[in-house]
Amino acid sequence: MTSITTEEPNVTSPKASRGRGWWRRNWVSLAFLAPGIIWLLAIVVYPTIATIRFSFFDESATKFVGLHNYASVFSTDEILTAFKNNIIWVLVFPFFVTFIGLMVAVLTERIRWATAFKAIIVMPIVFSTTASALVWRTIFDLDPHIGVVNAIEQTVSDWFSAPGAYPLNSSTGETVASLATFNAKGGPGGTLVSSSAVQPGGTVMMGLTRISSVTLQTLGAKTPVAPHEMAAGIAGLVWNDFSTSQPSNTTSIVSDEHGLPNLRLSLVSSKGSSVASTVTDASGDFSFSHVAPGSYHVQILASNFQIAFVGTFWLGSPSLTPVSSLNQTAQSLLSVPLIDLAMIISYIWIWAGFAMVLIGAGLAALNREVLEAAEIDGANEWQTLRRVTIPMLAPVLTVVFVTMVINVLKVFDIILNMAPGSSQGPATTLALTIYNDGFTGGIHSGLASAVAVILFLLVVPAMLWNLKKIKG
Amino acid sequence: MKEIITTKRGVMSKNLLGRVKASRKALIATVALTTMASLSIIVSNGPALAATSKKIGGSVSIWAEWTSTEQQAFKAVLQPFEDSTGITVHYTGKGSNMDTALDAAVAGGAPPAVALVPDPGTLDTLASKHAIQPLSSIIGTASKNYGSAWSNLASYNHKLYGVWFKAANKNTVYYNPAVFKAAGITSTPTSWSKLLADEATIAHGGTYAPVSLCTDIGWPVADLFQNLFLKLNGATAYNQLATHQMKWSSPDVTNTFAELAQLVGSGGSNLLGGMKGALADGSFPNCVASAFPTKGSPTAAMVFEGDFVTSSVPTNYTPGNGKSCTLKATATPCFNTFNFPAPTGSAYASDLQGAGDVAMLLKSNPQSRALIKYLASPSAADIWANLGGFASANKKVPLSSYPDPVSRADAKALTSAKAFVFSLDDLQVGWEPKLWADMLKVLQNPSASNVTSVEALMDTQATTALGH
Repeated sequence: MTSITTEEPNVTSPKASRGRGWWRRNWVSLAFLAPGIIWLLAIVVYPTIATIRFSFFDESATKFVGLHNYASVFSTDEILTAFKNNIIWVLVFPFFVTFIGLMVAVLTERIRWATAFKAIIVMPIVFSTTASALVWRTIFDLDPHIGVVNAIEQTVSDWFSAPGAYPLNSSTGETVASLATFNAKGGPGGTLVSSSAVQPGGTVMMGLTRISSVTLQTLGAKTPVAPHEMAAGIAGLVWNDFSTSQPSNTTSIVSDEHGLPNLRLSLVSSKGSSVASTVTDASGDFSFSHVAPGSYHVQILASNFQIAFVGTFWLGSPSLTPVSSLNQTAQSLLSVPLIDLAMIISYIWIWAGFAMVLIGAGLAALNREVLEAAEIDGANEWQTLRRVTIPMLAPVLTVVFVTMVINVLKVFDIILNMAPGSSQGPATTLALTIYNDGFTGGIHSGLASAVAVILFLLVVPAMLWNLKKIKG
Repeated sequence: MKEIITTKRGVMSKNLLGRVKASRKALIATVALTTMASLSIIVSNGPALAATSKKIGGSVSIWAEWTSTEQQAFKAVLQPFEDSTGITVHYTGKGSNMDTALDAAVAGGAPPAVALVPDPGTLDTLASKHAIQPLSSIIGTASKNYGSAWSNLASYNHKLYGVWFKAANKNTVYYNPAVFKAAGITSTPTSWSKLLADEATIAHGGTYAPVSLCTDIGWPVADLFQNLFLKLNGATAYNQLATHQMKWSSPDVTNTFAELAQLVGSGGSNLLGGMKGALADGSFPNCVASAFPTKGSPTAAMVFEGDFVTSSVPTNYTPGNGKSCTLKATATPCFNTFNFPAPTGSAYASDLQGAGDVAMLLKSNPQSRALIKYLASPSAADIWANLGGFASANKKVPLSSYPDPVSRADAKALTSAKAFVFSLDDLQVGWEPKLWADMLKVLQNPSASNVTSVEALMDTQATTALGH
């Protein structure tokens, strides 16, 4: 600046540092840095700025609309749903994945074949999330023949209440009374009762419908035979009163109809008490012999129609919270769709390995002397974990936790691939909203950009915190 | 054709449905290959090109959305034209970007001479910009080959600007004839009440679900709603609703939702697997497989959707209603369609919902005029009709050109349509996916209070997106 400045450029002078000499000395470094810098500018800095700019423009990115898009974000039900789902993810997922990661890491320290075991746990990270999502979509499928979760539920449910020979289809809201067509009506407790009374020596015919031909085939149903009168007894027939050739004939037996086998019946006296019971044969015929004089009704027991297990709609939008009476906006804010739970479970399966690896590395670096000291002091396993290991691991655990928070704020591909079409809306998250608004449907780049900026703002604090933690 | 009938932006919305399109194309490929032999005969004979008997020479460019096998079929259509006129046609298949690409080309000042777009909105826009030429004087009497419904859609300010070369019908109900037979139904329903009665009969039988409802992300439900709304209220009301001149909270809409609820049955009792099953397994074309499975027996009788369902039916299914139709998918199964029925006495029974590709003239020169004239001629459409996967709105295309009874019925419905409307959801720029989601909400809970609440939501969404 003063007398120091001479013809010779001074190496240490700040002013001179921009001179030809600086370039001459650093051009190699710059040349090597340039591709990286250009790359960063092109794919990180420019898109970020462009996104922020877009978020102030209308759907065709031509007209400046100020903060309008940001206002829409908080007044659009779909985006509020996305916010709510993101909150559910953030509240549930990071905690459980860190906890399970910790458990697995601690336990794998104590087993043989730990490496192989760890490799299996880590494997899901290697798979494409799309593939994992499709696998889990199958696991949670509604049909117990496809989805293993519902298959297990079905097995357990069948222990407690085995389906009858003619299970009602509860998914379509079928009732016992809807089966009755001829001389039958709904009785007490889900039974069917013959409409007309019968005396000993008489016959009873009862027609039912809505019986699947598959069921009839399985039970070996034969052509119905009209019952013959028997002395001092009551004979009868229960048949599937549906004929392909005469679908409107509901009053008489047609040759292409079938009897209903294996139906459990009881004979009910006029006082309402059961006096005898029997089972129909392959033609649907039955008989009660030696019946005391009187007036009787034939009752088809409720157990015949015991509902078959209907799968849990794990991938559906039924809410875990009662919201059906609320308005649309309140519903989007307060419902907790079942599919969120299914997806979080699947996502934990994917990421537990990652948590385990980080926590495992932390465990390996723990000061063993402290653990040994705890052991010598007589602490049991649980106390050691709770009072020594976890506090010492706290920095690692928080890094895992925060990384997972960032991860689920951006959760996207598992929803797109795991949710069936009808659940895409109720299961949406911010990232999926960005995709849907910005790249599909009625494209609204302004709104999508506004959501992206908000998502960015949500992620940044967690990211900065994490960077700080990792550095020191 | 979910993915091609749309406005500029709606087109991109169909990215999700790429798989649908892919499978459709796969089938068309099979059909095209098997009928390639008959094509070679047509080509060698060369259909009569009355007005272009002398060789013009030169070249002309044409754009359309068709790629892959549809592109091959269209090139087969162009071949006789090239042979007889000596004009070289440069065809470019733009896929689902057709509208956007054409917009850009017009703005850039280098449009193709002839272009086919999948929606009438683009025709109106281009006509208002004077980017396309009126056609009446060029194609002459050939314009009479199209019904008034089609001519109106190709007109702007009472001038004809387009030729509907390819058309699609969304007014179809697909059914498995063997299931109908097994359920004791001998004739297809011709009225709305008969359809509901037939549903009851099928449910009564107990073996088959009346309907395998496609739900997906809601667009098939929107298509179903649109069919029903059109049949109940007619094309005028339909177009008012499409432009939101009619409110979603209007009684016409509420009434349509109520009728829709009847079709579905309380709690989805007419649907395969009930409401839960329809929502869980109703993705397209998964829902088609329940009525037309590749193995085993069908579990449902009917599927509602447009004529593009044909491409999702396994290839061993015979189109039509033959005597030997079997339930078993591995024997000789069949598929057939009937027109979506209107209420008895409805004035709107032959109003049709569908899609199509309209040819427009962007640069007028002898070559392009000859080409548009050719596209308006029955002989051009006849070639593709023979190849399958195609229907024409041109009345002069003989129904015998179509390879099977299903596509013949399609073409008949299309050419005889009194009024023709395009898919309403595709006109809902900016909120189409929301409309789909709203349809699912009504489907699941058709109670009056929920319908009112969703209708109010739809009006808000429409107003936000459309500005009125």
